[in-house]
Amino acid sequence: MEAQLFHIFRNNPFGRETLLQSIYFCKKMGASPVVYIPKFTKFLMYFENDVVQIDLDSSYLSSPDTAISHATELLEEGGLSVRFFEPKHYTATTLPDIHTNFDYMACPRSISDLSTKIGLGYIGPKVRRIVNSARFPVLITSPVYKEWDRIAVFFGGSANAVNALKLGFRISRETGLPLDVFTYVGKVSLESYEQVIKDENLKKEMDYFVNKWHIFEKGIFEENLYEVPHTALVILGAYGHGLIKNFVFGSKMEKIQSTISNNLLIVGPNYVATS
Amino acid sequence: MRIFKSWRYPASWKFFRLDDRLLLMLMAVIVGLCSGLAALALNRSLIAMFNWLHKYHHIWWAFVLPGIGAALSSLFLEKVVVEGAGHGVPEVIYSVSRYGGLLRFRSSYSRLISSCLTIGSGGSAGPEAPVVMSGAAIGSNIAKYFSLNDRQRVTLVGCGAAGAISSIFNAPIAGMVFSIEVILGEWKSVNIVPIAIAAVAGTEISRILQGNQIVFSHLQFNIDLLDIFACLGLAILTAVASIVLTRMLRSMYGISHKISAPIWVRAAVGGCAVGIIGLFLPVVLGEGYHAVQAMIGGTFSQGLALVAIATLAKVVATALTLGWGGSGGIFAPCLVIGSLAGLTYHHCLILLWPSISWVNEGCFALLGMAGLISGMLQAPLTGIFLIVEITGGYEVILPLIIVSAISTSLCHYIEPASFYLKELVERGHLLRPGTDARVLSDLNVREIIEEDCITVKQNMLLRDFINIIKISPRNYFPVEDEKTNNFLGIIHLDDIRAYLFNPDMYDAVVLGQIMDTKVDVVHPDDDLSEVLRKMDAHQLFSMPVVSNNKFLGLISKATILDQYRKELVVQTSQ
Repeated sequence: MEAQLFHIFRNNPFGRETLLQSIYFCKKMGASPVVYIPKFTKFLMYFENDVVQIDLDSSYLSSPDTAISHATELLEEGGLSVRFFEPKHYTATTLPDIHTNFDYMACPRSISDLSTKIGLGYIGPKVRRIVNSARFPVLITSPVYKEWDRIAVFFGGSANAVNALKLGFRISRETGLPLDVFTYVGKVSLESYEQVIKDENLKKEMDYFVNKWHIFEKGIFEENLYEVPHTALVILGAYGHGLIKNFVFGSKMEKIQSTISNNLLIVGPNYVATS
Repeated sequence: MRIFKSWRYPASWKFFRLDDRLLLMLMAVIVGLCSGLAALALNRSLIAMFNWLHKYHHIWWAFVLPGIGAALSSLFLEKVVVEGAGHGVPEVIYSVSRYGGLLRFRSSYSRLISSCLTIGSGGSAGPEAPVVMSGAAIGSNIAKYFSLNDRQRVTLVGCGAAGAISSIFNAPIAGMVFSIEVILGEWKSVNIVPIAIAAVAGTEISRILQGNQIVFSHLQFNIDLLDIFACLGLAILTAVASIVLTRMLRSMYGISHKISAPIWVRAAVGGCAVGIIGLFLPVVLGEGYHAVQAMIGGTFSQGLALVAIATLAKVVATALTLGWGGSGGIFAPCLVIGSLAGLTYHHCLILLWPSISWVNEGCFALLGMAGLISGMLQAPLTGIFLIVEITGGYEVILPLIIVSAISTSLCHYIEPASFYLKELVERGHLLRPGTDARVLSDLNVREIIEEDCITVKQNMLLRDFINIIKISPRNYFPVEDEKTNNFLGIIHLDDIRAYLFNPDMYDAVVLGQIMDTKVDVVHPDDDLSEVLRKMDAHQLFSMPVVSNNKFLGLISKATILDQYRKELVVQTSQ
């Protein structure tokens, strides 16, 4: 069954950049976009063990008369079939439910705040809740449309990082793009990362898919991020460390998202890998 | 460290792995206590607010107080917590029906604050539905925090509702029965035991902090056979009052939504209207428990005309408060309207048959409350047990049963769905466990799609097709475009039998000529109930699933039935 990417359309120039990014992702991945044009400023997403209310800012409802034509135009230009999502169920009369049986979801860095307030280094709380609860990876798009021609996976050894690595393999296989892996060794020895790869039976895939495994043993983590190609789709796991893993993204994740402006594909703790 | 890591997953503890029910019992105590505390917090806040505003009530401009309260309540819900107005009980039932009881954390406090503003300022509404919403959300979020499964979460939602009602009324049985009868809609021991425990916990916390008091104490009633016969008329009167209240609430809601003003302005208008009524008839203001106590105690010394007018005024005031955007529930207004209706009925009886020695008017007030609660909620057991517990009046149990049963039946005849369920039923969202709609809603096309079909191209010769038929276990063959692989139509063996037995056609016919292009197709996101409706309407046994013009598989009635049976077994098993 074809993969589906869920996209909430914002009918303004910023929203156009995000939709273009989704279209590009779908074309690369052979997925089909499912576009939701909101009629209300809030909706609910029911995940397996959480319900997240998304409170959109008013810009999502701007110019409703042109929203469909703008989105259709962009999708058709991208050569993709047009499919709009119409909520079938409502928790309250002005509170539609959005199901979560998608394979990907595209989000700007924040979907609850005005685009003018959003800057690098800020990921909104709702996007974080979605990442935390979703069974699918979340594509956090770069502020402006940006094509990617390679894949970069951040591998820190955690269970989520392993999932991110597997997703990287899959995307590399489906797109045919080269895959680089980045690891900041820190206090842990390199051997332990290699052991994780071995324990997870990923050695064969590492040899087959990975172009280069970049190991950062020295220097400040943020400074090392300069090595990440600016045209890479960055894949990484979130919420993967420590006792409070379900509350914070993880320190490395925060540094990455606040330092680089690439498209990010984030794998949360409830992500279920599909073949 | 391991303890810290596993403490959020109690289901994995060795102790609870022996029996899941033990886990639910422990959780039920926690949920019952928390929801009981939430209910008490609202109760205390209402008393404090009422006392604070009491000194202003005799001033002429006091009519704006309910308007200000309703506007603030509406603003709080709309702008601060970004939730819709309303009491929230349908939302709880909807969540239990469709999403395993998942409720937002903000719901555990939002309605408490908003209803406190509405009711405390004099709006005609009750605090019970908000505390049900709050208790249910507390249960849901505790279940979520401890990563419990859907079934356990639904039970804890019920525990939260039971704990809240038990606490606010000091009535454990009513809390338990309300939760099972109205919220969950299924009587199963796996639910009943934890809910009973939560009801006890909620009641105990209330008794510890507020004392063990009967909410509405009353005199001894000596009921004879004639009084019981008279109850038949009261049951009809309360059923009529229930229907009038239900319809007026909905019509007020409709009228207010036709006005293109911000919701807080509408709430303020409704509240001010209530305030004006309250200037002349103070009984309509607030939750009205003082008036109920006076009526049950036989100290409500008003004549027939005034009591009848007060009944109508309370109906209108409740509709104005809740229909125009105020926050609160209908429990307390039902108790007030019911007792006023009972009192009106008693006055009428005395007027018509002055020589007969009727039972005390408080008894009719009490029966009227049961009749109205049962009629509005269409939950007779809740009505009976609630009134017995909050009045301590077990001696009225026989007329209580009669009034509740008749009122429920009459209301059900005129309005098939209760006040709480009407909107859900109209939207097709009431999915009680084990029902056809619920089973179908838990299945989806993606789960039961059959992908083992052999697709063929439109330019294929019949001769080649016959070779494919030989190896295919199916009678359906989807036809795709050679270049784009788009779905074009379908071939069913029954439709082409004539060609199959005519060898002259083997090299003369291509599949594009004999395929059926006018095929009803299914999309992967379609509801199964809709798919089945299409199949029945067109007498189909299988339908192709198509998305983006690509054939994905077949969906057949046989597979639906098979999955339906499995799902039904899961839902109806303990």
